[in-house]
Amino acid sequence: MTSISALNHIHKTGLFGNHESKGEENLLKVSEIKNMLIVQIVQYKNSTVSIENIDIDSLKLKDEPLNVVTNNDTRILWNGPKNWLLVSTKKDLLKNISEVLKETDFAITDLSHSRAIIEIEGNDVKEVLKKGCPFNFNILEKNNSINSTYNGIAFTVDMIDDNPNKIRLFALRSFGESLYHSITDSSLEFGYKAI
Amino acid sequence: MLHIKCPHCGLRSQNEFSYGGDATVKRPELNKEVSDKDWDNFVYLRKSPVGKHLELWQHISGCRQWIKVERDTLTHEIFKTLKANEEV
Repeated sequence: MTSISALNHIHKTGLFGNHESKGEENLLKVSEIKNMLIVQIVQYKNSTVSIENIDIDSLKLKDEPLNVVTNNDTRILWNGPKNWLLVSTKKDLLKNISEVLKETDFAITDLSHSRAIIEIEGNDVKEVLKKGCPFNFNILEKNNSINSTYNGIAFTVDMIDDNPNKIRLFALRSFGESLYHSITDSSLEFGYKAI
Repeated sequence: MLHIKCPHCGLRSQNEFSYGGDATVKRPELNKEVSDKDWDNFVYLRKSPVGKHLELWQHISGCRQWIKVERDTLTHEIFKTLKANEEV
């Protein structure tokens, strides 16, 4: 079965907005990220299992605000107390997660097809985010993540790199189109290349 | 615009929170006889104090946790925020 990505008919490649007087290296780069494994991990309140002994793709869960633990393939974002979002290019990792995390202690939910992911790269990324989100992005560093709202749409921000700034935005699939238009409208001022 | 310090996530905008009512209201004990008046009071009767007020808020667009917020209803000053299971 062929899977259709969340922004399949929405994301169009090309140069948009105020791009004419700028070199391509100074433009924002907007892309859709597809075919990722997205898994929500929630530890039950009555669970006494220590998360320090858990190893997923050589990563340990960390119950710490803003924290993202990461390697080349997988990122585990802190979503709330005892609540994480795992994002990975390894699609077969789900089996491993189900083996490592017992179902008596953890709720594992595959959200791979229920999220839209937009990636933005460039020096003005934080300025774009500031236009629609009340969070103070000056304090957001590399390998931090937050949940917030962008023009009223609930979304998750994952800061992948800071030189230049590179972030991934996750929204519910059904809100993906609205978030995409909000983000690209805000990006027009800086000029962006959709890739 | 209020800024509320979520005990889990840190300082966030009020936009991310949803108001959940008076945090001092106690549910009548389970498996005990409750008069209609006591039940009615629990469900509907609320104080509307001027000054310090302990409230429930949910960080609905953040960590999704319920928290307690001690707020001045007149000045909107926030004195303290607590996890839902903590007492003042």
